[in-house]
Amino acid sequence: MTKITFIEADGTTVEAKAEPGMSVMQVAVNAGIAAIAAECGGACACGTCHCYVADEWVDKLTPPEDDETDMLDFVIDPTPSSRLSCQIAVTPEMDGLVINVPSSQT
Amino acid sequence: MTRPDFDPLSARFAQDPHAVYAELRALDAPYYYEDVDTWMLTKAAEVEAVALNKTMVRNRDHLLSEAERKAEQRKLNWHDMPHHERFVQTNLLESEGETHARLRKLVFREFTAAMIARQRDTIQAFVDHLLDGLADRDTFDFVEDFAAHVPGHIIGRVIGVPDVDCPQLRVWSEQVVRFFDVGRGEADKQLAEQATKEFYEYLLTLVAARRKAPREDLMSRMVEHCDAGRMSEDELVATTMLILMAGHGSTIDVLGSGMHALLRFPDQHQKLRDDPTLINLAVQEMFRFESPLPYFHRFATEDTEVAGRMFEAGTRFGLLYGAANRDPARFEKADQFDVTRSPNRHLAFGGGTHFCLGNHLARLDMDVIFTTLNQRFPRIELVQEPTYKPGLSVRGPIALEIAVRRP
Repeated sequence: MTKITFIEADGTTVEAKAEPGMSVMQVAVNAGIAAIAAECGGACACGTCHCYVADEWVDKLTPPEDDETDMLDFVIDPTPSSRLSCQIAVTPEMDGLVINVPSSQT
Repeated sequence: MTRPDFDPLSARFAQDPHAVYAELRALDAPYYYEDVDTWMLTKAAEVEAVALNKTMVRNRDHLLSEAERKAEQRKLNWHDMPHHERFVQTNLLESEGETHARLRKLVFREFTAAMIARQRDTIQAFVDHLLDGLADRDTFDFVEDFAAHVPGHIIGRVIGVPDVDCPQLRVWSEQVVRFFDVGRGEADKQLAEQATKEFYEYLLTLVAARRKAPREDLMSRMVEHCDAGRMSEDELVATTMLILMAGHGSTIDVLGSGMHALLRFPDQHQKLRDDPTLINLAVQEMFRFESPLPYFHRFATEDTEVAGRMFEAGTRFGLLYGAANRDPARFEKADQFDVTRSPNRHLAFGGGTHFCLGNHLARLDMDVIFTTLNQRFPRIELVQEPTYKPGLSVRGPIALEIAVRRP
């Protein structure tokens, strides 16, 4: 089992169980993280599942593909650690991953 | 179990589609609707799975031979209408893969929440102007006298259409959109083709004007994309037409059904009056409760399992968003209108790569409108039960007579 920790904008920490094959977005939605709106359902088509990957994890993840990079241009307050959580596929190596969640997607 | 009485063009369906949707949802398997050779999906999980499945496409023309494409077009009664074929049957919504991604990317920036938020003052000023014009009226038709004017005016501003032309664009849009529904008569067909032709000629004039003197609007930016070779002029016209059509009818419909919902459920209306910060949740609930575009389709491009059984490549599925959004398996007390519903993972904007481009704009129009109405009128009442539009593809009241009381 892979464990992912979400830190919400108000500091609330939520630990969630993730299964390989899920996306980080699905893990967040299942864990009730409201700020991961994910309105398109995970098709890299809306930019509302934006999150910040904790610094120490950024280089350990598979880098974003062009579609995701293009969409990241449109999110609120992007930083070098910005990702679309629907585009991060969970792997067993991600056990302990820490994700910072923005206060809102709009 | 008896076969459900699924007749989307009937008066019974227009009056209460949700009773019919509930019958379809209760079936063990998807319902086959013979008239349009389509398997109807009504459960939220199944509808969402198909919307998100990348092998399910809105348009499969690129997978057909020219002869097959022509045969398909004839089956849909979409043949012998050259302008419609060029600008309506071929557009962002009807494209897939690289073409869809390229076109969507070219216009996406204008429709992000941040860009749309800049329209708030414009929407507020126009809504105030319309309501000032109704100052001597205690009763009016919420749809035709008020709501119908807002979305077209605002989307017109975003694109760069002069205000004075917006009413005509609504006429053309409605004439084209009417021919999308399951009943496709000859008169509607001719009207759709003629409207597309006039719409096209109008837009060509606007394109030429912006090419000569660009402004800060979407049309000018699209002309720039066109001149840089990022989109063709046909793509520019078709994209503009699609945005204008999408920006008109469905928002008007959900404004009407949303107002109706507030009047049907006065306790919910009061909750919103007591706490105006609920407006975002209330608007989302309006979309869930009466989804203005309750039906879209997808084609399977390969043999696929849907709802536990295998379907062949080429199968056409109906995604009944309106039914999925009342699925009790996803929504607690699904038939209850609840302005505090959260989370509210409805499918009214679709899902997947074709997710509604204009959702933020529609939501902002509604936010400003309902907030302003509640501020201006301490009481709003229903004068007459409305009749809803017939058909499967759209949902909204034809008219909504309301009485207002001022402070």
